[in-house]
Amino acid sequence: MMEILDPTTEAATQTIAWAPRPTALEGTRVALIENTKFNSDKLLLRIGELLKTEYGVAECRLYRKHNASVPAHPELIAEIESAADLVVAGIGD
Amino acid sequence: MAATLLSKRFTVGDESDAIELAFDKGWSDGLPIVAPTEARVRALLEAAGLAPDHQVAFIRDRAVSVSAEKVAVNAVMAGCRPAYIPVVVAAVEAIGDPRWSYHGPGTSTGGAAVLLIVNGPIARKLDINAGDNLFGPGWRANLTIGRAVRLVMRNVCGSRPGTLDRGTLGHPGRLSYVIAENEAESPWTPLHVERGFRPEQSAVTVVASDGPHQFYNQLSNTAEGVLTTLADDMRISGNVMGQSTYVVVLAGEHMRTIAADGWDKKRIREYLFDHTQNSHAHLRRTGRMAGPPQPGDEQKMRPLVASPNDILVVAAGGRAGAFSCHIPGWGSASSSQPVSKAIKEAT
Repeated sequence: MMEILDPTTEAATQTIAWAPRPTALEGTRVALIENTKFNSDKLLLRIGELLKTEYGVAECRLYRKHNASVPAHPELIAEIESAADLVVAGIGD
Repeated sequence: MAATLLSKRFTVGDESDAIELAFDKGWSDGLPIVAPTEARVRALLEAAGLAPDHQVAFIRDRAVSVSAEKVAVNAVMAGCRPAYIPVVVAAVEAIGDPRWSYHGPGTSTGGAAVLLIVNGPIARKLDINAGDNLFGPGWRANLTIGRAVRLVMRNVCGSRPGTLDRGTLGHPGRLSYVIAENEAESPWTPLHVERGFRPEQSAVTVVASDGPHQFYNQLSNTAEGVLTTLADDMRISGNVMGQSTYVVVLAGEHMRTIAADGWDKKRIREYLFDHTQNSHAHLRRTGRMAGPPQPGDEQKMRPLVASPNDILVVAAGGRAGAFSCHIPGWGSASSSQPVSKAIKEAT
């Protein structure tokens, strides 16, 4: 018999405070986060249009990350926090 | 008293059972592993001179802390000798550096591997191959050090195929991709010295990389002749629309031909930078740049990389044969950069 060690790491438990979920989309402000990939802006703008025409969203604004492989930068997140109620983040692969 | 190892323990019958358990648990890269017993893991930690809970890297975008204990467990599984562990630790530090930007090359459909270039005295001490059959197989250090890094990525950082590793094709370098520079025979400044280390220091440079693209030129006896062929091969390669880095590996015959003309690495870089540019018209015609060619696009040139300094030149490979290679990096300059770290041997 022999004993071996687990090479994996279990994630440390942490509590995340979720932002309250809106109960309806009417009148909300939506941030569309574009990841710089080709056509990702077109896809998100189309989604924005549908949110406005079919769900009564008040406004949609497009934001751009620095590049596709990194999270949105802190300044962008701070701006969105004050300017939007909802976020749609998409990838254009 | 030695610090406690915190990893969960599994009891198995023998070494064969340990190999099967590693496959069943998804810990292996597809090859049999060496059983990570406490004694073997402790031998590596001792060689590294690190406490088990020492944080080797923190992968910010995954909120993952990589401890020395986990690096050692995975390095045992990869088949590393204790003496190799300082190189593995330095490489894990490097992929945890924000400039390397783990989440991109660790996850992307682009399928990059981690190319490790080892410089300094430790390369010769550990017999890390810098010569014949450079990319392997045949050398334990080259094959197990890179494998250890990849197992850390898999088992600690979560880069598993189909989940947080979305490589479309990947490539064999993802099993292990380790070379040393042939400093003993190179006429040029070693890579680590160009990147700020002293010659007597040892360092590892990690580059998120595509596979090696070999080229052949047996006709030229001038630097310009050899590099003309290389530039022609490089011009359309990798992500020509925003390449981060190229590594150019010049092997024995080409190295001697280029050096005999008095060219240093800086001149090589500048020549390659100048001769690998594409017209916007060509990039548009070949589906790399969006939209049809515009007036003036035939004359408008786009370089492969942002600056000649983004071409890393390394002297390595067999003494015989008119072959060398280039290795396209992954992504763009803003998504991942090569990172060099000192290799610290325990005293």
